[in-house]
Amino acid sequence: MRILVVSPYPPIRDGIGAFAVQQVQTLRRAGHEVEVCSPAPSAAHHHLDLRGPKGAVALRRLMAGFDRVIIHFHPDFFYDHPATPSSRITTGLALAAALRSGPETIIRLHEVDRRWVTATDPSARATRAVFRSATRVEVHSPDDVEMMTGEFKVPRSQVELVAHGAEFVVRTTADRAAARRSLGLPADGHVFLCIGFVQPHKGFDRAAAAFRGLGEKGASLHVVGSVRIDDPSAADHERELEALESQIPGVHLHLGYLSDEAFDRWIVASDTVVLPYRHIWSSGVVERARLLGRPVIATRVGGLVHQLAGDPGATLVDDNLQLAAAMRAAVAGAAWSATGDPDDAGRTATGPASTWEFDGPVDRSSVMAEIDRRSAANRGVISRAGAAGRGGSVNQPATAALPLRRLRPVPPPPATSARPGVSTVKKLIRRVIAWEVDPLREQLVRLQKASLQAAETTDARLEELSDELDGEPDDEQS
Amino acid sequence: MDAPRLALVPPRYGPDVIGGAELVLREVAHGMTERGWEVEVLTTCARDHYTWANHYPAGTSTDGPVTIRRYPVVDDTSGKARATVAQRLALGEMPTLREQEAWMNDGLRVPELFHALLDDAETYQAIIVSPYLFWTSFACGLIAPERTILRPCLHDEPEARFELFEPLLNGVARIWINTEPEGDLLDQIAPHHAPASVMGEGVPVPEGYDPEGFRSRFALGDARFVLYAGRREGAKGWEQLLDAFVATVRKEDVDLHLVTIGVGEVHIPDDVAHLIHDLGLVSDRDRDDAFAAASGYLQPSALESFSRTVMEAWLAGTPVVANAASPVVAWHCERSGAGLTYEDDADLEQCLRFIAEAPEAAAELAVPGRRYVLDNYTWPVTLDRMEAGLKEMAGLV
Repeated sequence: MRILVVSPYPPIRDGIGAFAVQQVQTLRRAGHEVEVCSPAPSAAHHHLDLRGPKGAVALRRLMAGFDRVIIHFHPDFFYDHPATPSSRITTGLALAAALRSGPETIIRLHEVDRRWVTATDPSARATRAVFRSATRVEVHSPDDVEMMTGEFKVPRSQVELVAHGAEFVVRTTADRAAARRSLGLPADGHVFLCIGFVQPHKGFDRAAAAFRGLGEKGASLHVVGSVRIDDPSAADHERELEALESQIPGVHLHLGYLSDEAFDRWIVASDTVVLPYRHIWSSGVVERARLLGRPVIATRVGGLVHQLAGDPGATLVDDNLQLAAAMRAAVAGAAWSATGDPDDAGRTATGPASTWEFDGPVDRSSVMAEIDRRSAANRGVISRAGAAGRGGSVNQPATAALPLRRLRPVPPPPATSARPGVSTVKKLIRRVIAWEVDPLREQLVRLQKASLQAAETTDARLEELSDELDGEPDDEQS
Repeated sequence: MDAPRLALVPPRYGPDVIGGAELVLREVAHGMTERGWEVEVLTTCARDHYTWANHYPAGTSTDGPVTIRRYPVVDDTSGKARATVAQRLALGEMPTLREQEAWMNDGLRVPELFHALLDDAETYQAIIVSPYLFWTSFACGLIAPERTILRPCLHDEPEARFELFEPLLNGVARIWINTEPEGDLLDQIAPHHAPASVMGEGVPVPEGYDPEGFRSRFALGDARFVLYAGRREGAKGWEQLLDAFVATVRKEDVDLHLVTIGVGEVHIPDDVAHLIHDLGLVSDRDRDDAFAAASGYLQPSALESFSRTVMEAWLAGTPVVANAASPVVAWHCERSGAGLTYEDDADLEQCLRFIAEAPEAAAELAVPGRRYVLDNYTWPVTLDRMEAGLKEMAGLV
C-alpha cells in the first residue's frame, strides 16, 4: 500500500516528528511504500508549507498518488498563527475538501483547540468539517474520544482509541548500573527523573519544590531536557529551574537536547520518572517509561489519567502536597496512595508530606525567609543552597531590587473607554498596530524581568557575603 | 558465522572523490573488508561538494569488495536559511536553534538514504557517520544511535558550537577522533560527549618516489618549489596563502616557486604567473612524487582534524610549514619536530625564506617526520585500533 505520512520530521527536534519516524519505520518494515511530507525541509520526501487554504490545496494535489494518508494533526501545521475566525473558516473548508478528495485519510490527533468549536465561534462548522472529513480520527484517550464525538460531532464509528506507544522501540542497551556510570550518577541513591522539553507547563519546578529535603536522604532529582530558546517564557522558566537547582541540594539540571538513545538511558538510570505536568495532551515519556519498566509519579491532568490507568507502576497525584508525599514514599521504598489514611505507608515511613522544613523553631522570620528564598527562585535568582533569605523583619532593609519588584509588567495599551463607540475604535487600532507594538512591549517586559533578576541576584550575593563576613573570626580579637 | 556488517555513511564516496574524510572512509571500507567484515557504503550520488549535483547513478554498485548504495541528493531549498546563519555568525551572534535547524535542512538532503538506513539500521553491527557537519551525518547519525560511531573531524569553527549538534555529539555510541587536540576541542565543545577514542588515520606508504620524473613530467626544471595539495578554497586557507606567497615573491629576493595540486579555482596574478604552477588534479603517483620533489609543504588550513597531506609530506622527507592556528597541525609539528608553524604573513615569509635560503637545513628538519608517521599513522596500525573498537562496541570480543 502507498502511504503518505504528513508530519514534522527529523532531523529537526520535535516530539511529533520523533513519534512519526517510528511509525514510518514500522510501516515500511511491514512492507508498505511510505513517503513523508513535512511542513519544512527535512529528511521527508516532500516538504510543503501546509498552512492556510493554499497549503490545503497543495496537500490535496500530493495526496492524489497515495492509497492512504496519515496526518499527524497539530493546528500550527495547518492554520495561520494567530488564527482568526475568518482564516480558520477558509483553512478549515479547504482542508476538509482536501481530506474528502481521494484516498483514505487518517488524522492522528496530537492537539487541537476545542474553543474553535464552541457554539459562539463562527469557524466551528468549518473546524468540525476537517475532522468529519477524515476516514478515521485516532486519539489517545477516552476523553479525546468524547471530545471528538461530542464537541467536534465526528461519528463514533470514525473515532478510534489507539495506544500512544504502540510503535515505540527501546533505544538503549545499557542497564541501570551502566546507564548511571555513563551519566555520572552515583550507583546508589534514589534517582528521580523529569525529562523532556523544559517548558513551564511541564511543571518541573513543582518536582524540584516537592523534592526539598530528599537530597539529605541520598536521593537526587535530575531535570533533563532542552529549552526552546526562542520562547521567552521557556527562558524565564529555565532561570527559575537554575535558581531552584542552586537552592535545593540534590536537584540537578541537565539542559541540552538528547538523542533517543540518551533519552532512554536516562530513564533506565532512574528509579522513578516524575511527570508533574500542569497540563498535557498526552505523554510520550509515559510510554517510554513503561517500555523501560520504570515507575512514574504523575499529576492527574489531561491524557495522563487514561495513559496510566491500570498501570501498577504508576502513581497519580492531585497536588503538590501529594506529589511530595509520593516522592518521599518512593525514596522510602513504600507505596503511596492518594486515598490512603494519614497512617499509610508513605507518610509513616517518611513523615508528613511537606517540603517546608526548618532547622529550628518555626517562627515568622524563618518562614518569611523561606518564602523569600522560594519567590526569589521563582524570579530566577541564583543563590547558594541553604542561604538565608532576607527574613521578615519589620526593619527589613531596602534592597536594590525592591523598586523593580514594585513595577507591574507593562500591560498592552488599554483598548477601553467610557465614551460610546471609542472602545471599538481603540480595539481596531490596537489590532492594526499590534504587529509593531507587541514586540516592543514584550521586549520591555523581558528587560524589566532581567533587571529584576540582576538586582535580586546582586542582593543575594551581597547578603551571602555579609553573612560570611559576620561569621569570620575577628583577626584583631583572636 | 556470518561476517559482521558495517555501514559507512559519508556524504560522497568514490575513487575520484577529493576530500580527506572521504578518502579515509574508503580506506576503512577496504581495510575492514579485508579483515572479514561485510562493508556497505551508504552515500549520495554526488561527486562535487560545491554543486552536490547527482553525478553517479542511484542504486547499488561495487568498489572492489565494497558494496556502494547511492541515493539521490535533493537540493531544492532557497539557501535563505544558510544566508541568515552566515550573516548571524559574521556579526558574532549565535543563531537560534530554529535557525540552526533550518540551516541544516537548507542544502543537500538525502531522504532516500535516511529511509534506507531507517529500514536496515539493525542489520548492521556498527554504522560510521562522518564528518559531523554534513546532513548525512546529522540526520543518519541519530537513526540508531546505540550502534552509531561518529567520526566528527571536528574543527574549531562556530558551527561546531551549534546547539543543534548536541544530540549527535552526546548521543551516539562512540566517537572516533583523530588526535588528542581534537579530543580537547571535543571536551570543550561538548563536555558530556559520548565515549571517545583517538583512532587516528592511516596514510599509505609509497614504495618509492621519483622526484626528478615529476619535475620532468611537469616541466619544472630545477626550480625550487613549495607545494600545496588539497582543496583550493577559502575554508582551507588557500587564498590567504596565495596572497602571502605572492607578497613574498614580489619582493624579488626569494627564489621560490609554488606548485599546487587539487580542486578549486586558482586565480594567479599575471606578474607572478611564472612562479606559480597550478597542476590541477594529478594521479596518486604524481602526487607522491610532488611531495618528494618539493622543498617544503605548506598547510595553511586552520581547520584540520588530522591533515593527511602533512603526513604525506613527512613520508616523502619534506619539511612542513603550517598555520599555527590549527592546534592539530601545530601539535603534529611539535611532536614530530619536523614542521614549522606561522602565526601571520610575516612569519610565513620567513618560513619561505628559510626553505629557499637554507634547503639543507630544511631537509634536515624534515628527517624525524617520516619516523613519526610510520610509528603512528600507517593503515595496519590504524585498522587494528578501529577493528578492536568496532568489536568492543558490537560485543564481538
